[in-house]
Amino acid sequence: MPVSPKFASTAIPSGPNLNLGRERMAPTRTVRSKFAASKSEKSNGSKKSSLGSSGIKKSKPSKGAKAPPPKQQKTRPTARPTKRKRRVYTEKELGLPKLNTITPVGVDLPKGKKKGKIFVDDQESMMTILAIVNANKEGQIESKMMKSRQMEEIREARRKEAEVRQEQRHSKLEERKDSIRRKRNMKTEKNVTSEPLENKERRPQASKSGKKRVSFA
Amino acid sequence: MRALTEEETQTLFSKLANYTGRSLNNLIQPPSDSSKEGERYVFRLHDSRVYYMKLSIANLATSISRENLLSLGTCLGKFTKTGKFRLHITALDIIAPHARYKVWIKPNGEMPFLYGGNIVKAHIGRWSEDCPEHQGVVVFSMDDKPLGFGVTARSTAETRRLDPTSITVFRQADVGEYLREEDTLFTTT
Repeated sequence: MPVSPKFASTAIPSGPNLNLGRERMAPTRTVRSKFAASKSEKSNGSKKSSLGSSGIKKSKPSKGAKAPPPKQQKTRPTARPTKRKRRVYTEKELGLPKLNTITPVGVDLPKGKKKGKIFVDDQESMMTILAIVNANKEGQIESKMMKSRQMEEIREARRKEAEVRQEQRHSKLEERKDSIRRKRNMKTEKNVTSEPLENKERRPQASKSGKKRVSFA
Repeated sequence: MRALTEEETQTLFSKLANYTGRSLNNLIQPPSDSSKEGERYVFRLHDSRVYYMKLSIANLATSISRENLLSLGTCLGKFTKTGKFRLHITALDIIAPHARYKVWIKPNGEMPFLYGGNIVKAHIGRWSEDCPEHQGVVVFSMDDKPLGFGVTARSTAETRRLDPTSITVFRQADVGEYLREEDTLFTTT
């Protein structure tokens, strides 16, 4: 797109505006030490050279005008000692717990602990470990044995109880059987005693009446 | 090749203590108390396998590079990737003399066991009294030859009531593995 002459003319006035801005910023630069000021000047010079615009020349004289009051610069830094940069701590230095993060077991090592494996190669430490392991195992075996013994006792008691119950049931059954047998015996005995008399009386009748029989030819 | 860490030592010993009693101390401190430093026995880890050997042999092995070292001393077993320890049949010669609980099997039960089967009650000739269930036992033939090791399925009291065909000891390792696992038993990868 070709730049119209109107647009170009409007762009030119921005130069002085820029200059004005530089002039305003100049006091802030002077706040710093002499060395900083000289540095800024240098940098400004380079910038200006690079820009190469018409406004450079106007800014230079302004710099020259500002240079004379160096006494003010010396007094100002003493006036603001509180504005010094405070030390910024990193998160590692603070040791704050991280929020909403999962650290896998073993990755997060405790502070002040030695890194790496601890080898066991001397007899004494091996013997102590073995003693601990042996004690643990014996305890386990003992508890297992105790448990199995208790279970065995419980089972034995239950078995005995069941046996007793079975016997009781059996004896009850026998008693009942006996009683029934006895009853039957009593009846038969009664019948035996009463029968002869009755028989004598009833026999002729019985023989007479008998059972009615029907026979088909 | 390196010495075991504390944790590894504890895992190894607790596994060995499943099968052995108090006399396991003899593994570390042999009864013939030799004052020589090189004569004491040590455990070494190499390619996740644990070896048991004299210290003098372990010291000699340091001159062999890790890749070239295949095996040394007696292999007891290996650490799994989850950190557990698995005893190999090669450890039998070391644990058999110190066994706490023993099971002797009849000659007719030897073959089924050596082919990798569990031990049924009918094949048991003798067993140690007062043995709880799920306890490591060393299996012997009737002429006291160690054949392997296993874990009891029932306690001795319960086993008495079992029928002859029921399993009493679950097999863990048997000497038949020397033939069956010949190609993998000593490989390191």
